[in-house]
Amino acid sequence: MKLTKDQLIKLYTLMVRTRELDGLIINALKTGKAIGFFHSGLGEEAVSIGGCTFTLKDDDYLYPHHRGHAIGFFLARGLSPKSFVAYHLGKVPQDVEGPTPVERGIFGVSGTIGGSFVLSVGMAITAKKNGKGQVTACFFGDGAANRGTLHEAMNLASVWNLPIAWICENNLYAQFMPFKDAFAREDIADIAASYNMPGVVVDGQDVLAVHEAVQAAVARARAGDGPSLVECKTYRYRGHSEGGPDIAHYEPRPTEEVEAWKKRDPIVLFREALLKQGTLTKADIKKIDKETETEIEALEQYADECPRPQPEDPSVLDRLLYAE
Amino acid sequence: MKEIRLVSAINEALAEEMSRDEKVYIIGEDVQAGTFGATTRLIDKFGPDRVMDTPLSETAIAGAAVGSAMTGYRPVADFMFSDFMFIAGDEIFVKAAKWRFIHGGTQQLPLVFMATMGGYAKLGAEHSQSPESMFMHTPGLKLVVPSTPYDAKGLMKSAIRDNNPVVYLYHKGLLGLKGEIPEEEYIIPLGQADIKREGTDVTVVATGMQVHFTLRVAQELEGKASLEVIDPRSLEPLDIETIIESVKKTGRVVVVDEDTKRCGVAAEIMAQIMEQAFDYLDAPIQRVAAANYPIPGGFMEDHVLPQIKHIKTAVETVMG
Repeated sequence: MKLTKDQLIKLYTLMVRTRELDGLIINALKTGKAIGFFHSGLGEEAVSIGGCTFTLKDDDYLYPHHRGHAIGFFLARGLSPKSFVAYHLGKVPQDVEGPTPVERGIFGVSGTIGGSFVLSVGMAITAKKNGKGQVTACFFGDGAANRGTLHEAMNLASVWNLPIAWICENNLYAQFMPFKDAFAREDIADIAASYNMPGVVVDGQDVLAVHEAVQAAVARARAGDGPSLVECKTYRYRGHSEGGPDIAHYEPRPTEEVEAWKKRDPIVLFREALLKQGTLTKADIKKIDKETETEIEALEQYADECPRPQPEDPSVLDRLLYAE
Repeated sequence: MKEIRLVSAINEALAEEMSRDEKVYIIGEDVQAGTFGATTRLIDKFGPDRVMDTPLSETAIAGAAVGSAMTGYRPVADFMFSDFMFIAGDEIFVKAAKWRFIHGGTQQLPLVFMATMGGYAKLGAEHSQSPESMFMHTPGLKLVVPSTPYDAKGLMKSAIRDNNPVVYLYHKGLLGLKGEIPEEEYIIPLGQADIKREGTDVTVVATGMQVHFTLRVAQELEGKASLEVIDPRSLEPLDIETIIESVKKTGRVVVVDEDTKRCGVAAEIMAQIMEQAFDYLDAPIQRVAAANYPIPGGFMEDHVLPQIKHIKTAVETVMG
């Protein structure tokens, strides 16, 4: 499917917004406004945006990758970023308009890496049982690929011909562990053959390459031809989590490695391509930047005005623990 | 009423719920044959799409149940032996138990993790455990332990209809136990203890196989001590009120638990009685539980698992 001009601009805009929202949380942590963990996804915007935009239908299921705390996936699915910002600032979001994550097939993520594989199998069982041509897209990192759950899930998905697209966001590090020291093969996509499905490697800095490969995997799943694996080679600019060190094993990541990847920044690459082909003008880019800046300011103000939860009212927790 | 074996009562509950609600399905290793009989012949009526045989992939079984429950189905995942549930620790203790909580109550996970539990069959340390304390300890899970065919059926139907993850453990020593159940449909709500025998001298709390051991002790001691035997039937939610009421009447308590003694279910129930009914106690509470070992295979099993004589001794101790 060839993307229209409007679609290309939307992809670009979503990547810019993803980056700036990620930056908002980093800044909020620096100023002491944000609480808890944050695992930045700066540098990896092409995977979530390219993988999920114009590939999935509204009722498809999506297990997001956790980098950037899935903000790219939320934006790609047309969800309001209000909750994302409010929660990271320890606030209770108020009056969030638009669809809920569940209405866009996002049932959340969790911190124990690799649980995504087997839960996605369950989502795909639902998709198959529903018989409405739904697809499950499971995004995971190179670190997750070291979990045994991958084997059980990929094997079962192939044996049962489940409608799944497995998409690896390989950013070359699992916390401080370099991929080359953690995986027995150069490409995760190679293991697809073991599970009798197609596996491809794409340039994860190239949003259109990601889009095309995921589109093909989703189409295959939707046609009833079963799962496939797409590996997107990318890189994270920040350390594993904000406030922690940016290291490989116990030493700083090699500067030349970081610089080499930053020269192929996914947003810059796409912007230059769009400028060159005349899809965007410099004025358009300025406008997108300005609009994003305005959005970020408004979101921060929104979160500032949202109330904090009241720990003295534990009935909130009771409602969360068990369903009626 | 009709007489039926415990394993058939579970089978009936599964069949009835699968007929009632097409979202209910079974997933697990060899569930089409039904290793212990609980799922046997359901394939005839419901087909392989609803009685799904899996490879030896416990994490995939449990994870699939979680994933399809959050997206609208009501899976019953069978683990054959409860010992095998540890293989799916992340899926059971982290994903199923915490998912709703960490996602702000936006979702529900209506699923059942079922498995046989317990010893006395000389099957060794990896096929004999009573792991109730693990599940009871974990907020977000519910836990059912039936002891009779009547309870097994009524509680399984409730477990399937519950909108939360329910762990359902049935004792492999009770599979063939016969009991009466109504011809017509019935359910037993979770969190409602059953007084298996009324008495006035000693309250004995027991679940699963231990209920039957305790009833034998009650019979043996007839005329010497009147035992009130309480089967909580579900440990989460736990009907502590019924237990406390009984303690107020008898003033003496024995808690029997096939689980390992250290940090076990009995310890929790004893603690709750101490917190809520200390003033009514006429003697220190006695506890009968498995010794702090893995369950050995063969004849050494007898030295670790609770025996009828231990329950009798404990009752005599509280009677003074």
